[in-house]
Amino acid sequence: MTPTISCDDLAVTLPGASGPVHILRGVTLAVEKAEFVSILGTSGSGKTTLLRVLGGLLPASGGTVRCDDTAISGPPEGVVTVFQDYAHSLLPWRTVRRNVALGIEARLPKSERDERVDEALTMVGLLDRAEEYPWRLSGGMQQRVQIARALATRPRVLLMDEPFGALDAMTKASLQDQLQQVQELTGTTIVFVTHDVEEAVYLSDRLVVLNGSPADIGLSLEIPLPRPRHQITTKERPDYLELRHRVYEALGHTVGEPARG
Amino acid sequence: MKREKERGGTPVRGLLPLILLLGLWELTGDPASPYFPPPSTWVDGLRPLVDGDKLLPAIGQTALTFLLGLSIATVVGAVVGTLVGASRPIDRALSPSLEFLRALPAASLVPVAALVLGYTTQMKLVVVVLPATWPILLTCRTARRTLSPVLLDTPRTLGLSRWHRTTKILTPALTPAVLLGVRVAAPLALIITLLVEIVTRVDGLGAVLGAAQASFLSAQVYGLLTIAGVLGFLVNWVVTRAETAVSRRMRGTT
Ligand SMILES: Nc1ncnc2c1ncn2[C@@H]1O[C@H](COP(=O)(O)OP(=O)(O)OP(=O)(O)O)[C@@H](O)[C@H]1O
Ligand SMILES: [Mg+2]
Repeated sequence: MTPTISCDDLAVTLPGASGPVHILRGVTLAVEKAEFVSILGTSGSGKTTLLRVLGGLLPASGGTVRCDDTAISGPPEGVVTVFQDYAHSLLPWRTVRRNVALGIEARLPKSERDERVDEALTMVGLLDRAEEYPWRLSGGMQQRVQIARALATRPRVLLMDEPFGALDAMTKASLQDQLQQVQELTGTTIVFVTHDVEEAVYLSDRLVVLNGSPADIGLSLEIPLPRPRHQITTKERPDYLELRHRVYEALGHTVGEPARG
Repeated sequence: MKREKERGGTPVRGLLPLILLLGLWELTGDPASPYFPPPSTWVDGLRPLVDGDKLLPAIGQTALTFLLGLSIATVVGAVVGTLVGASRPIDRALSPSLEFLRALPAASLVPVAALVLGYTTQMKLVVVVLPATWPILLTCRTARRTLSPVLLDTPRTLGLSRWHRTTKILTPALTPAVLLGVRVAAPLALIITLLVEIVTRVDGLGAVLGAAQASFLSAQVYGLLTIAGVLGFLVNWVVTRAETAVSRRMRGTT
């Protein structure tokens, strides 16, 4: 199978206060169609940067980035990023409904657009807040509006940057399961940035860990847990616990030593 | 509600001290005074202008110069400010020059403009546009510079065209800043319009005012001054209200 989105020997150098900073070096990653890949890493390790390059929002300084075998220059069609900073990603002068319609309103007639918006808002459970302004919603709700906006475009590839970082455990769990359902239904390819190890293991087909400075891929781990997954039973499986253990180790935690700080 | 009152101002109650002062002047003033004729004589002073059908055209000329000048300044300031603010290197290279040009007193432009363009309406416009552009340009530049990169990435990842990115994201996002600049620029533009008219005597309320002063028609001078004051007050009130309403809607703050 040809990868949907991939990068080869990717390097990213950005200007810093004291000269150029090497943020990523030698990152090679290929994501297959309908695959769910998580990118894990500590804060500042370059996860957002990598996702921006994959989404065509930031040019690579070295190496190649491809989407369906064509080199990326700018965001490819059907590849949509959900940003970590949801507060600045929603337009405060538009209602929730019109925010969600932003990506499709120029392409679709009104009836179809409304249908898609309703469908997307139903998926994230916010249909009843459609006429509200986003700044009247909680942080978690705003993030769900952003997810709905991406879903409304029916993307082939969804790049998500810590989408559930701002949510409480219960909402998070229910959205994780909704995301799995959406993927099962639509066959969307998902690249999912998180720093939550449990979340990454639970959701992914494969996860990669970014570490070092400049960062590269330190661990690439297949997650062969059977699907559909379940919040309670899957997380009780010994193979789940084993995988979780390995990821924590790759992130630099050691067994037998109490957590500090 | 409360803030609206504070910022928009309640026109009548706020003017009470001024009205009291005028009343006092009326009661104590000497109608024959060559310098301080009481308010009741001002209307009579204006009568020759009204009868000669000169007052309304003069107000029209001033309003035209003011509105046209402010509109041109708004467009130029918004576009140039946005372009300058979008690029760090350009911003850094131009900032000192912009600061210098901004500090240049507007009145000092009059001789140069009159020299180059003669005593014409174009000259008046140039003198009004240049200083009125700065506040708009500078607020717009700052707003563009501090715009969240995520807000600019959003329409790109959703596949919006360059045109839609400008009309649907950039323009609404920068509108409050432009209006903030207009709020500062509008009174400035009106003052300069009147000033250039007084100095050059090219059409408008200022020209009439200058002529009245030269002919020692002090009651008429005060009458015209009152009209200018009312105009200024109206302009200020309108732009303040517009700015408050729009920025609340665009920024989404209650
Ligand atoms: N626009 C930029 N210009 C220069 N350096 C940047 C820029 N954006 C990010 N960086 C730097 O790149 C590094 C990685 O940042 P990035 O945002 O990719 O981290 P992250 O893994 O997403 O962190 P977090 O988990 O906190 O979101 C950081 O050291 C950051 O300072
Ligand atoms: Mg990040």
